[in-house]
Amino acid sequence: MKKKFSAICILISVSLLLVGCGSANTSDKTVSVVGSSSVAPLAEYESENFLRVDKAIEVDVQSVGSSSGIKAAIDGTANIGMSSRNLSEEEAKELKEVVIALDGIAVVVNPNNKVKNLTKDELLAIYQGKIRNWKDVGGDDAPIVVISREEGSGTRGAFEEITGLEIEKNDKKYTTVFSRAIITDGNGSVKQNIALKKNGIGYISVGSVDDSVKSVAVDGVLPTEETIKAGEYLISRPFLLLTKGDPTPEAQAFIDFILSDEGQKLVKEHNYITVN
Amino acid sequence: MDSITKIKTENLELFYGEVQALKNINLDIKEKEVTALIGPSGCGKSTFLKTINRMNDLIVGCKINGKVIFDDIDIYGQDIDIITLRKKIGMVFQKPNPFKMSIYDNIAYGPRIHGVKKKSSLDEIVEKSLRKAFIWDEVKDRLKTNALSLSGGQQQRLCIARALAVDPEVVLMDEPTSALDPISTLKIEDLISELKKNYTIIIVTHNMQQGARISDRTAFFLSGEVIEYDLTDTIFTNPKNPKTEEYITGRFG
Amino acid sequence: MKKKLDKLAELLFITSAIICVLALLLIMIFIFYKGAPSILETGVFKFLFGVEWQPRAEVFGILPMITASVLVTIGAILIGAPVGVLTATFIVYLAPKRIGNILKTATDVLASIPSVIYGFFGLMIIIPFIDRFLAGGAGGNSILAAIIILSIMILPTVISISESSMREVDISYRDASLALGATKISTIFKVMIPSAFSGIMAAVILGVGRALGEAMAVILVSGNAPFMPDSILAPVRTMSANIALEMGYASGAHQEALFGTGVVLFVFIFIINFIFYIVKHKGGVKN
Ligand SMILES: Nc1ncnc2c1ncn2[C@@H]1O[C@H](COP(=O)(O)OP(=O)(O)OP(=O)(O)O)[C@@H](O)[C@H]1O
Ligand SMILES: [Mg+2]
Repeated sequence: MKKKFSAICILISVSLLLVGCGSANTSDKTVSVVGSSSVAPLAEYESENFLRVDKAIEVDVQSVGSSSGIKAAIDGTANIGMSSRNLSEEEAKELKEVVIALDGIAVVVNPNNKVKNLTKDELLAIYQGKIRNWKDVGGDDAPIVVISREEGSGTRGAFEEITGLEIEKNDKKYTTVFSRAIITDGNGSVKQNIALKKNGIGYISVGSVDDSVKSVAVDGVLPTEETIKAGEYLISRPFLLLTKGDPTPEAQAFIDFILSDEGQKLVKEHNYITVN
Repeated sequence: MDSITKIKTENLELFYGEVQALKNINLDIKEKEVTALIGPSGCGKSTFLKTINRMNDLIVGCKINGKVIFDDIDIYGQDIDIITLRKKIGMVFQKPNPFKMSIYDNIAYGPRIHGVKKKSSLDEIVEKSLRKAFIWDEVKDRLKTNALSLSGGQQQRLCIARALAVDPEVVLMDEPTSALDPISTLKIEDLISELKKNYTIIIVTHNMQQGARISDRTAFFLSGEVIEYDLTDTIFTNPKNPKTEEYITGRFG
Repeated sequence: MKKKLDKLAELLFITSAIICVLALLLIMIFIFYKGAPSILETGVFKFLFGVEWQPRAEVFGILPMITASVLVTIGAILIGAPVGVLTATFIVYLAPKRIGNILKTATDVLASIPSVIYGFFGLMIIIPFIDRFLAGGAGGNSILAAIIILSIMILPTVISISESSMREVDISYRDASLALGATKISTIFKVMIPSAFSGIMAAVILGVGRALGEAMAVILVSGNAPFMPDSILAPVRTMSANIALEMGYASGAHQEALFGTGVVLFVFIFIINFIFYIVKHKGGVKN
């Protein structure tokens, strides 16, 4: 009896899968936007508002990560790819990119932490496990609890690339983040860990910083809209929309909307930095 | 009636919650005799049997009045050690229930919980108990095999051996043969007659012939009361109470 | 007519059974198809015993994850199994009916709590506790935290299966033991529990499977560092956590290596199930 039931379940799920696959085929009036999980919530929000401007175009946003988004744009399975990291040379050759917003990555610590500033080198040493006590960077005598993101996360990729935690050896990219660092998935989870641990240090999108954590200055610069726009803050990244060649008219309409004043207002609402 | 009284009940009453299952029972059970308890289903035979080794203590809401005197001591009185009591009063159940362990361990279980540790003493007890239960010859070559692999009749004799292993003075048997075939039944009846030499035995039975064959005295229970208690011969040939006669001649329930 | 209906029903049953087996086969084939090449490419030895996990550089060694899975599972069983078996014992033999029922309901509720909630509880309560009182501020995401959470999570499995196997034990065993003068406690531990042994073992083994496979809750509390643990307070990443954590973003060789991790996990689970089968089938008569 149980077996039969599970068999039925399998049948149902298989048929649902088939149906699901069927509807994934993009129709003329649909724009599929696929990629970075950092960009996706913004794109989703933009698309909801875009619906009011142009009812005929349906925007379908899928959050699968920057690398997959770039791949989807290159092989044409998506109309628009989303990336929260700069393209590699090879990728850039194949794609057209539009910057729709800027995101800074804030280095955050527990609000009770005395440390206000870290140099880039200190930050590197902390993440490489070479500095392991807060007293070595002007804080209390307490162990440093290093928190990083999961492999493949756009934020991690951007953070490591920009700070130089990622190194290249024989054409291969290695991370030098020490293996004892706590890995957690998502901005929210990093914040939660930092908020709960008085000795934690992590990094999150500037847009997600709130009172539960405290940003520290990097090389004397705090992550603010001005410092990021001005290019003064070290750890920042662009949010990119990518197309293979010229976008379809519908995709173009969506991109135009995001870049319009109305669209950029939404960017601001998400605590990202506008590009106009 | 010149034998020694082993167990004596005085105005014994038992309640399961509101329901009275035993009423004013006064019985004298004699040492080294077989006493049979007969009566229709639900009349309180098992209940009575279990008052003697205080197995009713397990039942929630069971209340007992009156006395059960065992060797001059009221077993429901204060300062009674139930463990010692149960060691002295063994029990054999309707359905053979050997533990899921080897034949040897089944027999050694009782002595072990009462502190016998030496292998040689245990070996000795095991052999002696199995011999007393007339099953030694059948199992002596496979003491290490699981007791559940024995036949029903063998299992019941094993259970009797297990009860004997703690060296009791009284053995209570609740329909010990009702789940067995005629041949096994006969074997157990022979065994009971043999055990009588050393033990006081109280047996519940629904089998009239069995009662007549093996017991010295018989108590006839009806609706929680003892209607008649006498020598078995008297009960079966010349009952004083017409209800007893009705039951014995099979004109009952 | 009736015969035809019978035939139809039979057909239905057979089809369902075949679908079940097929589903299992398909999953197995899929995982091995996707994962085995990656293991072979890295080299079985290097994959299983490598201590470095550098997906960007395509260096895949999962010994830290295997170690973590094994340690965390053993720890969870060492705590969860005795607590679960003793709770079941209490429910079956010792607790008044009402309290037993309350405990059983509690167990059922425990079983129905989604694992992410367990993880969240661990994150908010257990980790800060470990951080403050045991780790001296050095974190708290650790083997210990994972063990604590998992030992709670396997409780419902262990309790309910050992409970039902204890209930299957003939209650007359209890009477026989008590009538021999055994105490309640020695009756339980020397007769009742040994009689339910195979069922209890099955419960424990299913608990092992649950602990080994759990990812969601573990991710939230274990720290997920692909690091050879050097203490019970070290952060670790289990095999399941490795897959669940990185599969979302992974592509190419990285993705294949995650499937490779899946293959190893599958082999572990398979071995556990095999033991389960053996215990269950030889358990009938235990000597
Ligand atoms: N645990 C119990 N709770 C409540 N009532 C009980 C309990 N055990 C027995 N009784 C009741 O007490 C009465 C006597 O039961 P008992 O088992 O002693 O009968 P019996 O003479 O042994 O019958 P049988 O020949 O069928 O075994 C019955 O009415 C029975 O329903
Ligand atoms: Mg009875």
